[in-house]
Amino acid sequence: MDRRHFLQTLTGAAATAVLTPELAQAAAQLRQGAAAGINWQVAFSDVDADLPRAPLKLVHGRAPKDLAGSLYRNGPGKFHRPGGSVDHWFDGDGLMRAFRVSDGAATLEARFIDTPKRRVEAAANAIVQPGFGTARKPGAQVRNADDANSANISVMSMGGELWALWEAGSPVAMDPKDLSTRGMKTLRDDLVHMPFLAHPRRDPGGDVWSLGLSGAQAIVWRVAADGALKSADMVSLPTASYVHDFTATKRHLIVILQPWVQDRMVMPYADSFTWRPELGSKVLVLDKADLTKRRIYELPPFFAFHFGSAWEEADGTLRFDGCFTPDARFATTNGKAFMKGTFEPEPDPILTLVTLRPDGRATLEPTGVTAEFPRVDGRRSGDARRYTIHATATAANTPLFHGVATYDWKAGKSDSYDFGASHLVEEAVFVARPGGTEELDGWLLAPSVNTRARATELHVFDARRIAAGPICTWRSEHVLPVSLHGVFVRA
Amino acid sequence: MKSLPLFLGLVLGISVLAPGVRAQETASLDVTFAGLKATQGVIMFTLVNSEEAYNDKAKPVAAVMLPVAAATATRTFRGLAPGRYAIKAFHDLNGDGKMNANPFGIPTEPFAFSNNAVANMSPAKWAAASFEVKAGANAHAITID
Repeated sequence: MDRRHFLQTLTGAAATAVLTPELAQAAAQLRQGAAAGINWQVAFSDVDADLPRAPLKLVHGRAPKDLAGSLYRNGPGKFHRPGGSVDHWFDGDGLMRAFRVSDGAATLEARFIDTPKRRVEAAANAIVQPGFGTARKPGAQVRNADDANSANISVMSMGGELWALWEAGSPVAMDPKDLSTRGMKTLRDDLVHMPFLAHPRRDPGGDVWSLGLSGAQAIVWRVAADGALKSADMVSLPTASYVHDFTATKRHLIVILQPWVQDRMVMPYADSFTWRPELGSKVLVLDKADLTKRRIYELPPFFAFHFGSAWEEADGTLRFDGCFTPDARFATTNGKAFMKGTFEPEPDPILTLVTLRPDGRATLEPTGVTAEFPRVDGRRSGDARRYTIHATATAANTPLFHGVATYDWKAGKSDSYDFGASHLVEEAVFVARPGGTEELDGWLLAPSVNTRARATELHVFDARRIAAGPICTWRSEHVLPVSLHGVFVRA
Repeated sequence: MKSLPLFLGLVLGISVLAPGVRAQETASLDVTFAGLKATQGVIMFTLVNSEEAYNDKAKPVAAVMLPVAAATATRTFRGLAPGRYAIKAFHDLNGDGKMNANPFGIPTEPFAFSNNAVANMSPAKWAAASFEVKAGANAHAITID
């Protein structure tokens, strides 16, 4: 909800109704934010229409000459309709953005993914379908997961198409040139309406692995680079955990099973899960070449949405990192609060190294660094790597993050830049410099919502010199809500 | 979701006159399936007259395999006792006689219920799907596909 609407709501509420504790908290945060000139709620506000391609204004620096291509990013873009709204940030309609960079200039366009859910709700003039945190409303019809598919988490490039990814239903194919929707992908006729996670893992050879979850069962997808299905196999999991992301080495799939466990099937989906710390976390390691070969490691309880790529050392030790919190409360608390224009303070996610040893021992080593939306130099996926790219820097009076950083695992230190609390900074994607080979020789592309300018910006950093600040910044005339995940496709 | 029972042969306008019902109190019912996108296969459906039968705990009034050759398909039932009825249907696109499902049990062939009652991750309930059949002529349309 935008600030004007929100203030009207407060005035109306004061005049005619009881000021609820929630409204009071939101009003207090709005005043604190307003005192600091920060209207962060704009980063969770609706986009009402597609944005046609328009040039961005260069407001700082100069773009690298050899940066050319399109940054596609997905994330929820519409949350409210006159007849009813989503209850959770994760349930907004997927809005696909494209920042196109060429010859030092950039454009931005955005187009809603045309899903059955969006059509049903446009016709009803209300949000009706249930979701991750949204209850079913009158008029809902869910024959299968794709009826509720908001296609709003991530995007990948597959065989010349874009696939908009949700996690509980099918990928949605789109045209990269104009962001038009081609339709839901069915990878095999008997696998219609199967789930496909938003964080697939690419082999060095080009094959793409993903999972689809249902309770303690998972389908393991292996898809060729051109989008053709290579295999789909069922595996059973030791716990019916909520799984958003997983990781992989060259030889293994690594599925982290946290103690947020499904014990029923209800809507909203998140209500099906219970936090059971006494179970601890388990890590299931599967052999890609033979999914019946498995190993399970035990760890203390934690929750993470996201993990970095994993690697295997000569002696069989496996390592990967993740952004860990003590529990799953964000999924149910702030995900809903953002839709009401408020948020609760929560522990920061902390960048943590996981080590799985050949003798079966497993350890966690937190770095103490605030981190979310981890990314890597993609050329190092599956290999030992030195760096993790991530969002960082939280503030007391705004949610999410306002900085970009790289963490150097070898030196144990961060290279970071903080935009200040008036920016909500999104995931940074690495783009290798053509002709370069060293890890991080290239750029980070990170959008932000500049809440003072009320505008979406795109920043380019030298990936090896983050503290120096962006080498260039472009600004849009429009403000889009924060997006979640994206991919850069070279021109 | 339970798969519908397997039926052999066509059931053509059978008379299901219940004992003791006089001729002038019987009903006929034209059931039309509309919106068919795939003009192939058959619609397999049951007509039931009780909640028990709807939940597969008693026999249906009729079990039908209705061939699909156009965007609509109709079957007429005569000699029904007036009362509450419901229909559960699926479009057997591949003609294997079963409602196919994906590995997680979600139907992969179109299905529908009388009153176009909605499924919400489980079949529509009798309360939502049942409709009145009165003495004389009745018609009921269901959108499927």
